[in-house]
Amino acid sequence: MSRPGFVLEVDERTPPLLIHQGEGFRLEGLPLGSKVIYPPDSLPGIRDVNAAIRHALLHPHGMEPLPELLKPGMKLTIAFDDISIPLPQMQTPDIRQRILEHVLELAARKGVDDVELVAANALHRRMTPSELKRAVGERVFRAFFPEHLRNHDAEDKANLVNLGKTDHGEDVELNKRAVESDLLIYVNINLTAMSGGPKSVSVGLASYNSLRHHHNSHTLKHSRSFNDPPNSAMHHSYNRMADLLGGHVKVFTIETTMNNEPFPSAMSFLNKREWEWNLKDQASYLAVKRGNDMLPPKMRRKLWQSSYAPYGVTGINAGAPSQVHPLTLQKVHQQQRVEVNGQSDVGIFGVPFICPYNVNSIMNPILVTSMGLGYQFNMYLNQPIVRKGGVGIFYHPMPNEFHPVHHPSYIDFFEEVLAETTDPAQLEAKYEKQFATDEWYIHLYRNSYAYHGVHPFYMWYWAAHAMDHLGDVIFVGADRRTAGRLGFRTASTLGDALEMAKHTVGSSPEISYLHMPPLTLADVR
Amino acid sequence: MADDHSGGAETGGVGGRLAGAHVLLTGATGFLGQATLEKLLSDYPDTRVSVMIRKKGSTPAAQRLTSMLRKPVFSRWRERVGDDEVARIAAERVDVVEGDLGGNPPVLPDDLDVVIHCASTVSFDPPIDDAFRTNVSGVVNLYQAIEATGTDPHVVHISTAYVAGARKGVVPEASLDHTVDWQTELAAALEARDEVERDSRRPEALRKALADAREDHGKAGPQSAALAAEDARKEWVAKRLVDYGRLRAQSLGWPDVYTFTKALGERAAEQMWAGAGHRLSIVRPAIVESALKYPYPGWIDGFKMADPIILAYGRGILQEFPGLPDGVLDIIPVDLVVNATLAVAAAPPEPADPKYFHVGSGHSNPLHFRDMYSTVRAYFEAHPMPDGGRGEIKVPIWKFPGQRSVERLLRTGERATGFAEQALLKLPASERTRDWMTKVHRKQRELEFLRKYSDLYGVYTEAEVIYTDDRLLALHETLPDDAKERDGFDPRVIDWRHYLQDVHYPAVTAAMRAVASRPRSKAVARKAELPEGTDVVAAFDLEGTVIASNMIEAYLWAKLAGKTKTGWVGELADLASAMPKYLAAERRDRGDFVRTFLRRYEGADAAELRRLVTDRLGDTLLLRALPEAVRQVRKHKAAGHRTLLITGAIDVLVSPLEALFDEVVASRLHVVDGVFTGYLDAPPLTGEARAAYLRRYALKGGYDLAKSYAYGDSFSDRPMLEAVGHANAVNPDPKLYRHAKRKKWTIQQWGRHTLGPVEALMESSEDSQLAGSWGIAAPAGAPEVTR
Repeated sequence: MSRPGFVLEVDERTPPLLIHQGEGFRLEGLPLGSKVIYPPDSLPGIRDVNAAIRHALLHPHGMEPLPELLKPGMKLTIAFDDISIPLPQMQTPDIRQRILEHVLELAARKGVDDVELVAANALHRRMTPSELKRAVGERVFRAFFPEHLRNHDAEDKANLVNLGKTDHGEDVELNKRAVESDLLIYVNINLTAMSGGPKSVSVGLASYNSLRHHHNSHTLKHSRSFNDPPNSAMHHSYNRMADLLGGHVKVFTIETTMNNEPFPSAMSFLNKREWEWNLKDQASYLAVKRGNDMLPPKMRRKLWQSSYAPYGVTGINAGAPSQVHPLTLQKVHQQQRVEVNGQSDVGIFGVPFICPYNVNSIMNPILVTSMGLGYQFNMYLNQPIVRKGGVGIFYHPMPNEFHPVHHPSYIDFFEEVLAETTDPAQLEAKYEKQFATDEWYIHLYRNSYAYHGVHPFYMWYWAAHAMDHLGDVIFVGADRRTAGRLGFRTASTLGDALEMAKHTVGSSPEISYLHMPPLTLADVR
Repeated sequence: MADDHSGGAETGGVGGRLAGAHVLLTGATGFLGQATLEKLLSDYPDTRVSVMIRKKGSTPAAQRLTSMLRKPVFSRWRERVGDDEVARIAAERVDVVEGDLGGNPPVLPDDLDVVIHCASTVSFDPPIDDAFRTNVSGVVNLYQAIEATGTDPHVVHISTAYVAGARKGVVPEASLDHTVDWQTELAAALEARDEVERDSRRPEALRKALADAREDHGKAGPQSAALAAEDARKEWVAKRLVDYGRLRAQSLGWPDVYTFTKALGERAAEQMWAGAGHRLSIVRPAIVESALKYPYPGWIDGFKMADPIILAYGRGILQEFPGLPDGVLDIIPVDLVVNATLAVAAAPPEPADPKYFHVGSGHSNPLHFRDMYSTVRAYFEAHPMPDGGRGEIKVPIWKFPGQRSVERLLRTGERATGFAEQALLKLPASERTRDWMTKVHRKQRELEFLRKYSDLYGVYTEAEVIYTDDRLLALHETLPDDAKERDGFDPRVIDWRHYLQDVHYPAVTAAMRAVASRPRSKAVARKAELPEGTDVVAAFDLEGTVIASNMIEAYLWAKLAGKTKTGWVGELADLASAMPKYLAAERRDRGDFVRTFLRRYEGADAAELRRLVTDRLGDTLLLRALPEAVRQVRKHKAAGHRTLLITGAIDVLVSPLEALFDEVVASRLHVVDGVFTGYLDAPPLTGEARAAYLRRYALKGGYDLAKSYAYGDSFSDRPMLEAVGHANAVNPDPKLYRHAKRKKWTIQQWGRHTLGPVEALMESSEDSQLAGSWGIAAPAGAPEVTR
């Protein structure tokens, strides 16, 4: 049994603590009395993954075993989570590859010829051929690419089908091939509590017309948090859609969970509690830190992007989504949940080098916002680690950099929209439609490797709850002009940031530091 | 109130002496003319006035008078008597004689008592023929026209004190002491233009002009070079005629062609009018500046001679100036000149015995250059010029180093900036070179300004000459005592400190202050929305404007995709060895380069290249795109404009941008049996061909080029940019930058988020094995299911 999560109270003996800041990290001495929230130690991975997969497929929850669902002449579609999870990308063989190989073998044995593989990338950029190959493995890739292994195209009107509206009037519009298949198998990786379950199909294979009902500033402001499905307005919408979908499509879902090993062994100190660092850890900290700081920024990004996570698989469950997902969530909580006693005046978050939308890409300022104020701020159950009106302090250099191919609409969003307003509801009302229906963005989304034109808006909504909740947002070490455009203040040190926060929370605030990555889900009582 | 201003008639001033007279005023729209007319209308109720005014464009003379009466000079009078009265008086007492002394002289009224001749050229260094036409032919025409009326008016001929020429010492109020024959000089001056025009067309001159123009403008195309050569020729002609004037003047003892021709004008007047037994008075004002009291203190119309220097000093541009500290700056307020002129008009001399009057301050109330400087400095220190939201400008301290060292300073500066510019023009386009260019140009402009004023005003500011005014003062003394205040012209009443600091400087700096206190436009000021319209084209160049890459880079993407990194070496070496050939072609002509370079595609498989572009290179191209350019294209589209990409690059390679534009016009490679021959299907659209294409496109599609937009980065895009109303230079090369600055085109700095060439190449090579490569069949097509 791994050690459970832990909340440290900083005292005289506490060493400086590690804080991520983009493509780098630093050791920071926190004020005495600060609470530091650590996740449980990494769970052991399943030793025989292939056996676990076989077992899951043959003993599903709430459905017949997979071989019994497969019939000759049937139409089978297998969707899988795209490159946005896991983070960082996992060392090969990717869990998707292993599952797909098993599923395809069963299908072949049953004489199923009509098989399509779809990356459920929703409005994300298409995966490149090499990214697809990395996810599904050489064998599957060679057999199916390009005709039968594709990216979902949320703008291909001819290949979308509208299944009607939920009782809340939400359109459910999905990938036609998937909906019209006799069986839809979904291969999921459940890294956080927000993923999986009803989200998989109704988000991953949907169109803008459908996504706009839950990906908007109002819903996100009322998803508290979006990592806590029962309290998430967004998940309520997913559920309604999944219910409607259930009447049309037979979905066999395969959900997997990962342990907390995002960093390779050379950087294993990043997974440890600082006071437990041995000599080797201290030496590698120094070496990695020094080397990293010396690298030119572009090379540094390249290196971080090519570090692959030695994730262990902690759970594989298959069957009906509604029955599988609770088991999955249980595993996620087991790995990430830690109980925290009460809220603080100040929350500290170190924003790491990666988020779901900059794999093999650049983490632009809007993605930094969505990672810090969206994903990380929302890593809570019950209530945020910061009290209402408190201060969020985030670490990230936030350079004014964008990937011109992956994030073209982000550049325009930054230059044109944020220059006018940073209020999620305002920019949603004034600009979302224009970006969402822009022909050039749609062209780039469909034919190049661009995120959909509307995607930067979603990223901004992701932060809507935090923006609403926090009294002040301060970025330590960020480019001042860039942060200013986003409406955030900057400080060069934690001391300065706390000095600035005085105005809002007084001179001796309570401080909580959410120590992640690895992923930490704070259950704030 | 009205009693104070009802004119000198009742009080026995000058007005009484001109009562009932009919006065013809030439040059009424000029500075002195306006003030004289105002005085006549407001203070001489019994005097009739005819004004000779030129037709200007399509505006008839009568209308020019009406609009002139609305000018500030008449404002006080208008306030006193009211609009209706102004109109009534103008209708009753003023006749307009439409005519041009330089061309066909008009028929004059036949009951003239007095002619006041104010018309003159205002420029100091016009081409010789222009100067003679106004200041000599104009005089001749005037006297002929008066002669033709058969009347015998008293003519008051306004000249200038500086007709005495470049000399030292005291100049009396008498006929000029020279033997120059004005008729000979006039004939020679009028012939000069033909001569110079002829010279400018000699093959030697044209060859040089053409060679220079090709060097500078050749890249923009043959028509541009020819135009530039012709412009240079015209400029040469103008300069040469100015030289003709200045040097002829100097060779006869005058500082410039203005004073020279004014002097000859006086001689012509003496011979044609006084010599024919008529009454002639010659009034020679010095430097006429703003009014001391009338029509109101500080009234001035535009900038006069000393004012640009005062302003330049106040703006901190004038670091040093030639001039002797003990030299005399002979300034006289305009109202004193008007009073003197009218007093002279009222006191005609005997026939055939012309009288001369100097109207200046140098003799009886001299203003020394050092005093002028100290008042100017004190004034600007007390009332500094605003510096566009950046506080106030600090004024320099002059040391009066003398003409020679100022000249040396100027020459060194001019040479240094000249070299700097030449060097910069050879550098590649970058933000830094553009910044350097701006600095060099600012320096050049300052130097040009200094050079102009140093050359022009050297004579006036280094003057060691005194114009006596005994005769003028005697005339002043004949005025009744109660009229002296209002109608007098004794320069000794001027308190220089008061006049300069409280009256003159505030008047000349007022307009400038209003402009300079506006905050400078912000560098990141949000651009105005594009006006909507369906008859507007937005034409974009590709390389350097929409994408940061060029033809060579695109070739490398295609060629290196699919090769292993070791395979790159050979390819790069091969390309490098051919580079000198390409560079030479590029220097010659953009089209030559395109043709030469595209030969490299010989033997490539057309379909394969197209597939490669679709699969991989399209994204590489987008990596090198300038996001601001893409945004701008889309803004044009949103405004309903027709967006057009015109490029010499080959169509296959730009196909990923087809969705962005309404239309893409690119080069096409010739294909035989699915393989490129390395030749083009048609000449590449570069330089002037592009402009011609755009013009035809607009004509056919019904687009209005004046409302249209074009975007380009290189000097070879100049013709296209010049074809439209809104030209935009995008990250321009130094030559285009210089041109854009001169033409006040919009200059765009784009490419904030564009990846560098090496990064793009690396990214494009990453997936290459999967996508296959150019000329090599791709692996895997049909699925071979693993079962």
